[in-house]
Amino acid sequence: MNIFQHKISSGLVTFVAVMVCYVSFTRQPADAYLFPRVVSIFFLGLALWTFIKALMGRSKAGNGLSINMFKNMAPGVLISAMYIFWAAKSLGFYTATSIAFFLLLTSYDPAPHSEYKSWFKRIIITASFVAIMYALFAKILVVYTPRGMFI
Amino acid sequence: MDFIFYFGEVFTFTSMLLLIGGTIGGLIMGATPGLSPTMTVALLIPFTFNMTPVHGLILLGAAYTSTVAGGAVSAILLKIPGAPANIATTLDGNAMARKGEGAKALQLSFISSLIGGLFGVFLLIFLTPVLAKMANSFGYSHTFWLAIIGVTVIGSLEAGSVVKGLLSGCIGMWLATIGFDDIQGVKRFVFHPALGGGVNIIPALIGLFAIPQVITMFAKGRFQTDIEQIIVKKHPVSAAFREVFFRKRALAIGTSIGSVIGLIPGVGGQIAGLLAYDQAKKFSPEKSKFGTGHSEGVIAAEAANNAMVGPSLVPLLTLSIPGSPTAAVLLGGLIIHGIFPGPNLFQQHPEVIWPFINSMLIGQILMCIFGIYIASMAARVAQVPQSIMAAIVLGLAAFGSFAVQQSMGDVYVMAVLGSMMYFLERFGFSAAPLVLGLILGPIAESNFVTGSLISTAQNGPFVYFFTGGLNIVLVSIVVLSVGFSFWSEITAKRATH
Amino acid sequence: MKKIIAALAISLIGLSGAAKAEYPERPVLLMIPYGAGGATDFQARIATIPAGNDDMLGMPVAIINKPGAGGRVGWSWFANDAEKDGYTMGGYNVPHFIAQSIKGGVDYSTDSFEPIANWGSDPAVFVVGKNSKFNSMADVIDFAKANPGKLTFSGAGLFVGHHIAALQIEKAAGVKMLYIPNKSGGAGAMKAVISGEVLGGVNNLSDAFRAKAAGTIKILGVADLERNAFLPNVPTMMEQGLDVDNTSVNFRGVMVPKGTPQAIIDKLAEVVPVMFAHKRVAQKMKAGGSPMKIMNRAEVLDMWAKRQTTLEELLKGL
Repeated sequence: MNIFQHKISSGLVTFVAVMVCYVSFTRQPADAYLFPRVVSIFFLGLALWTFIKALMGRSKAGNGLSINMFKNMAPGVLISAMYIFWAAKSLGFYTATSIAFFLLLTSYDPAPHSEYKSWFKRIIITASFVAIMYALFAKILVVYTPRGMFI
Repeated sequence: MDFIFYFGEVFTFTSMLLLIGGTIGGLIMGATPGLSPTMTVALLIPFTFNMTPVHGLILLGAAYTSTVAGGAVSAILLKIPGAPANIATTLDGNAMARKGEGAKALQLSFISSLIGGLFGVFLLIFLTPVLAKMANSFGYSHTFWLAIIGVTVIGSLEAGSVVKGLLSGCIGMWLATIGFDDIQGVKRFVFHPALGGGVNIIPALIGLFAIPQVITMFAKGRFQTDIEQIIVKKHPVSAAFREVFFRKRALAIGTSIGSVIGLIPGVGGQIAGLLAYDQAKKFSPEKSKFGTGHSEGVIAAEAANNAMVGPSLVPLLTLSIPGSPTAAVLLGGLIIHGIFPGPNLFQQHPEVIWPFINSMLIGQILMCIFGIYIASMAARVAQVPQSIMAAIVLGLAAFGSFAVQQSMGDVYVMAVLGSMMYFLERFGFSAAPLVLGLILGPIAESNFVTGSLISTAQNGPFVYFFTGGLNIVLVSIVVLSVGFSFWSEITAKRATH
Repeated sequence: MKKIIAALAISLIGLSGAAKAEYPERPVLLMIPYGAGGATDFQARIATIPAGNDDMLGMPVAIINKPGAGGRVGWSWFANDAEKDGYTMGGYNVPHFIAQSIKGGVDYSTDSFEPIANWGSDPAVFVVGKNSKFNSMADVIDFAKANPGKLTFSGAGLFVGHHIAALQIEKAAGVKMLYIPNKSGGAGAMKAVISGEVLGGVNNLSDAFRAKAAGTIKILGVADLERNAFLPNVPTMMEQGLDVDNTSVNFRGVMVPKGTPQAIIDKLAEVVPVMFAHKRVAQKMKAGGSPMKIMNRAEVLDMWAKRQTTLEELLKGL
C-alpha cells in the first residue's frame, strides 16, 4: 500500500519535472530560459532517481496516507477550498471568514452538537476571531480586503 | 563613543513610549504568520509622517528589531515561521515544543536574539567604516557563490532523505522562475493569470508551512482528543541564560555568521539563520541531535537572525544602499524626513542617527524582556484546541497572504502550494529546502546572468567567477561544505552497518 | 440563484445609496509597480501625504507595492485585475510602460489607462564612481570607441527610462557599449557603479543627487533639454555634443484603469494636481532631491501621445 503510494507520488513529481524540462527547452528567447534549463535538468535527474527508487520499492521516508485520513479531512478541506477560492472574494473576506470559521468549528470541535451551550461557544469564538481580524487588518494595518456583496 | 551622549534622547517620555509600543507591537506582528518585518515597517511609515525624525526612527528601529525576533514565536509553537528568517528556528524549536520544552525554546530564542542583536548593533556603532568597505567589495560573482553556499545547506535540513531534500530545493527554484523574468521581462511558466506576478515569497512561506499543519489537524478527525497532549514544562529564566552561555559554540557561530551575512547587500537576513544552523550542526559533536529538539539549533538560528539587523544597516547608512528589503523601506522612511544616508551622515545628523541606533540597543533589551514574558504564556497556546487552532491558522493565512500585495492571486497561490505541500510531506519531501530554493533561486539567477554579461566585457565568465581572493574563498567553502556532507553521510552509514 | 443574489445586492446598494453619493467614501489605494523605498515609491508617498485633508480627497491614500520586472508585474495587474471603481489608482512611469508596450510581451499600452495627473520629472543622468578616470561624457565616448562593447554601464532594467537614455547615447555617439540591466532597480544599478562592478551607469537624477552629496559618485551629464536646478553645474548631453533629448526623462504620476466612471476621473483630475501642489509636498520633495513637474490630465494625455511617437521611432531599429 505504502510502496504503491510512493510510486504514484514520485511518478507525479517526475511528470512535473518532464513538463518543466520540456517547456524550458522549447520556449524562446533562450536567454531568459537559461536558468530554468539548468534547474530543470537537476529537477528531472533527482525526480527520476526517486521514481526509480520507488519502483524498486526502496522509498522509506514519509508515512503515506490512509483512507481514514481522507475521510477525516474531507469536510475541512472542502470548507477551506470554498472559503479561499470562492467565498473570500464573492462574499467579502469578513463574511466568508465568519462562515468558514463557524463551519470548521462545527465539523471539528468535539463538543456535542445537541447542546445549545456548545453552539453558543462556537458563535462567541467565531465572532471574537473575526473582530480581532477586523481590528488588526482593516483598522490598524489599513488593508482593504475584498468586501464582496456584504461588508 | 559619541553614541553615549545621545542616550538622553531615548529616555524621554515620548521616546520610551514609542519604543515600548514599537517593541510589543513588533513582537505581535512578528509572531503573526504572514506579517513580515518588511511589511510591518512599510505599514508603519505613514504613521511617522507626523512625528519628529527622531521619534519616527525610534519607532521604526524598535519595530524592525522586534519583528525579526517575534517570528520565532510561531516558528516554535506552531511550526509556522513568521518570516523567511525564522525557517531554521522551526527545525529544532518546534521539536523542542513537542517535547514539552516550548517555554525553554522561546526563552533560548529571545536570549540568543538579544546577544546576537547587541553584538550586531555594537558592530554598527564601532566598525561602520571598516564594514562599509567590506560590504562594498561584494560583487555579482560573490553574491552568486553565496547563494550556492546557501543551496549546500539543504543537505543539513533534511532528516529523512537527502535526495528528496535536494529535489524539494529544485522544486523551489523552479517555482521561483514563474512569472516575469526580472532582467529580460519575459513571462515564464505563467499557466494561470494569478501567476503573472510570480510566486511571492511571503504567501508561499505561509502556504508551505501553515496549510499542511491545518490539513494535518483536519486529518485527525472530530472525535479524536482535541487538545494535543503537550505539556509545557516551566523553565526558569536563569537556567535559560546558563544554557545559552553553555552553548558558546552555537552562539558564536550564529552571531558571527549573522553579522557577516547581514552586511552583504542583496542577500539579507533571509538565509542567515539557515546558514548558521548548518554550520552549528557541522561543528557540533552532537550532530545527530539536531532536528530532534536540540538547543544549539535554536540558539544558532536566532542569534544569527538578530545579529544581522545591525550590520544590515551599514550599507544603508554609509552608502545609501539598502542591503535588504526591510532596509529599503527604512531608507524611504529616512528620506521622507529629509535625512540622506551617506558617509557624512554621522557628522551631519548625529542628533537623529545616534538616538536611532541607541534605540535599537534599548529595543533589543526590551524585546528580550517582553519576549520572555510571552514565553511564560506558551502553555496557553498549547491549550488551544486543535479545531480552533486549525481555523485560526487558516484565517490568518488567508488574511496574511492577501495583505502582502493586496492581491487575491497571492491567496490562491498560498492555498495551492500549501495543499500540495501536505501531500508531498506525507512522502518525505519537506518545506524548508523548498522555501530555501524559492529564496535563493532568484539571487543565484540574477547574479549569474548579470555577472556573465559583465564578464563578456572583461576576461570571460571563468575568470570572472573563479579568480580573485573572495571568489576563491567562497568556492572553497562550497567545496568543503559539500565534501563534509558526503563525508559525514559515509561515516554515518559505516557506523550503522 | 445568481439573479436572486444580484437582486439582493442591488437592493443593498440601494439602501446605502445615500451614503455612496460622495466619492471617495473610503481610503483610495495607489499601486506602485516598484519596491518600497525606491525613488518612485517614496515620491508617491510624499505626493499623497495631503490626500486626507478635507479640501483634497478627504480620505487617505494607501500605497501598495507590486514590484517586478521593471514595472511589468504591477502594470499587468493594474490593466487586467484592478477594480475600475476609482478606489484603485496606479502610479505610471513614462517612458517605461510605453516603451515596454511598444517592445511587446505585455498586455497593456497607453490605451489601457486613463492619466490623472503628473507630479515629477526625473531626468536620467550618467554617473561614474568617485575614483573613475572619466570626467566628462567625451572621456566615456572615447573609451567606448577604443574598446567597442567593453564599456559596462548599469541601469534599472530593460526598456525603462535608463535604458532609453542608454540607447540614445549609443546612437548619438555611434558607439557600442554594454548595458547591464539590474534586477534590483535603480538602487542596485547605483550600487554596481559605487562598488566598481561596472564602469559607469545611467540612473535617476534624484538618486544620483543624493549619492553625489554622499561623495560616492561623479555625475557626468544630464539627459534633458536643459540643466537641472538640483545640479546647476552638470552639463546636459547636448552641451557635450551628444544629440540626446528629453525622451528618457522619467515622468511620474497617477492614473486609473480604463473603464473607471468619467465622473470619478473628472473629480480626481481636478483634485489630484492641487494635492501635488500642496506646500508640504513641495517642501519634502525638495528636501529629497526630487524635481517636481505638476501636469494636469490634458497635459499628461498630450505628453503620453508625444512619447508614444518618439519611442516608436527610437525603438523601431531594435
